[in-house]
Amino acid sequence: MVLEFRNIQKSFGEKEVLKGISFTTEGKKAFGLLGRNGAGKTTAIRILMGVFPANSGEVLLDGKPIDRASVGIGYLPEERGLYPKKKIIDQLVYFAELKGMNRKDAEKSIDYWLSRLEMSEYKNKSLDTLSKGNQQKIQLVTALAHGPQIIILDEPFSGLDPVNAMLLKSVVKEEISKGKIVIFSSHQMSYIEEFCDRIAIINGGKTVLHGDLAEIKRNCPRNKLVIRSVDADAIMKKYESRCSLGENGEILFRLDDESEKSGVMNALVSEYDVDEIKVFEPSLNDIFVEYAEEQM
Amino acid sequence: MKQFKTILAFELKNFIKNKTFVGVTLFLVAALAIVMFFPRITDAFSSDSDADDSSISGYSGVMLILADSDEDKIAYANAFGAAFTDYDVHVATESLDAVKDKITSGEIECAFHIESPTKYTYYVGNFSMYDENYLIANEVMQSIYRLDQMTEHGIAIDDAAEILATPIEFENVSLGVDQMQNFFYAYIMIFALYIVILLYGQMVTMNVATEKSSRAMELLITSANPTSMMFGKVIASCIAGLSQLIAVFGSALLFYNLNREYWTDFEMAEMFFDIPPELLVFMLIFFLLGFLIYAFLFGAVGSTVSKLEEVNTAVSPLMMTFVFVFIICMTSMSSGNVDSTLMKVCSFVPFTSPMAMFTRIALSTVPVHEIVISIVILAASVFGVGVLAAKIYRLGVLMYGNPPKLTKLIKQVLFKK
Repeated sequence: MVLEFRNIQKSFGEKEVLKGISFTTEGKKAFGLLGRNGAGKTTAIRILMGVFPANSGEVLLDGKPIDRASVGIGYLPEERGLYPKKKIIDQLVYFAELKGMNRKDAEKSIDYWLSRLEMSEYKNKSLDTLSKGNQQKIQLVTALAHGPQIIILDEPFSGLDPVNAMLLKSVVKEEISKGKIVIFSSHQMSYIEEFCDRIAIINGGKTVLHGDLAEIKRNCPRNKLVIRSVDADAIMKKYESRCSLGENGEILFRLDDESEKSGVMNALVSEYDVDEIKVFEPSLNDIFVEYAEEQM
Repeated sequence: MKQFKTILAFELKNFIKNKTFVGVTLFLVAALAIVMFFPRITDAFSSDSDADDSSISGYSGVMLILADSDEDKIAYANAFGAAFTDYDVHVATESLDAVKDKITSGEIECAFHIESPTKYTYYVGNFSMYDENYLIANEVMQSIYRLDQMTEHGIAIDDAAEILATPIEFENVSLGVDQMQNFFYAYIMIFALYIVILLYGQMVTMNVATEKSSRAMELLITSANPTSMMFGKVIASCIAGLSQLIAVFGSALLFYNLNREYWTDFEMAEMFFDIPPELLVFMLIFFLLGFLIYAFLFGAVGSTVSKLEEVNTAVSPLMMTFVFVFIICMTSMSSGNVDSTLMKVCSFVPFTSPMAMFTRIALSTVPVHEIVISIVILAASVFGVGVLAAKIYRLGVLMYGNPPKLTKLIKQVLFKK
């Protein structure tokens, strides 16, 4: 199963929100859809869900225009909320029925998911009696109960305690292993890094970076060194124009050219008392900041 | 279609589980039961006590007659006794001042002091707004005076009495509609329409606004088609409103029929429950269409609101329009001229026709083709407004922040796809 966004454009009135978004993702792999606030992630998700059509471009599944009803899409929106005063089971059945399930199947599936998420005891309670984290788990059931092939999770970990976060991780891994397409949208880069094989960064309505995360990291320019040293001040002073201080007190040393790497390393080690020196590998956070910032 | 049914069932269930809705309906039915059984209950009580105090039952008080001569006293007391069947009429044996004291102390209710055949003074404790004793007294005095005068002029007393009592036979034949009777139905239907639309319209707005403010909308809008959602909600509230009305009016009719024999004294009740069937059909048609067209608009307005506090401000233009139509209909009804140009125009404009056309049908003779045209325009508008409302809803529910202007949204829906 391959999902493809092909040059999607969308305007609201005068405002062009998406200026040509393209990316692909496939089953058995998690995909991270990243972007700063207002970059157009939610608009892209809504187009995928068919809330409104794109002005141009296509959403394809296995090369054909997506048939949303038959494939089934599960969605955990960033703005959580269900009916606060209604019984949990009633609203879960309602949403599953809206997604095309019959009542009996819906009840069966909901029972499974409530027990999987350790929420069975709350089945007949009204939603507003639950804690925020538990409400979020109930909302997750609305995204999963109808057995969708595509699952979209927008900030799924926000508000969860570490134990619940672990539970959610294992559920998500299970779904990925079943061959489903899982799309994450989050600003918590550590989770994306942990789960996602592929990412796309949207900025200013365009896809600015897209592809396999490991490959993206590999292809990043290796033109920076990380140095930890007791002589940090002396190094900083001598190479003032090329050095900057990292978040954890380490020195980031910019190379003019990758070929001077060995020379610089040897020179520094022989001259100063160096504890650690290595080529800088950017984290997803660094990549995100670099791409999302410079394109704005 | 399946989604529509799911939404309809869910929304209807909300009404059934809504304690206020069920409570109000049950309260109204219970109140009607009390009202409709009231004559039967009072009858049961009064028949029990009939034997014990037959002497006073039926009398509301003692009335004394004062006159200058004893002969006059007796003659007037007899005549007043016959006219005031509710009173225990006696000849006064005490002085006028003593009679006044007795009235003040409450011992007797009232007294007539006959000063001459054409002049009297009426004494009573508190002169009630509804006291018509003086009118009856005027008639009694007039007849006695006329009879006296006629006999004095040589007409035999029996002839004179016959002349005075000659009855006039008459019949009112209405070749159009009977405004007297239909006024009632028009009044009740317009009032019911007014209350139900305001009540349920607000409920639809609140329902949509609550879904939006609780953010359940984020999930709903990605799970269901907005048109199904809008139609599901509005039709559910229509069914709820109609069943409430049927429960209330149906139970009133049922209770009336159970107690029909106790209501024979009340002409109004009989008139009210003998509604002509064709008027009932028109009532239903205009009620349904009128309800739907407003409910759709109320739903669309609800979708433009982000916070529940904004609901009242957002619905006020719609309410104002509606109240305005209500006032136009009520004013022309009470003036009796329901075929004025304003009413004629109103009876074809979709938002005003449910009330205006029904008023005209009930209180005047409207050509069939006008009724058909009005219903067709209204039905088509209901559909059009429904689709438009669903589109506004789709746009509105995704907009948070300051509520957008409805006119702006309509423009957006109509001119930009």
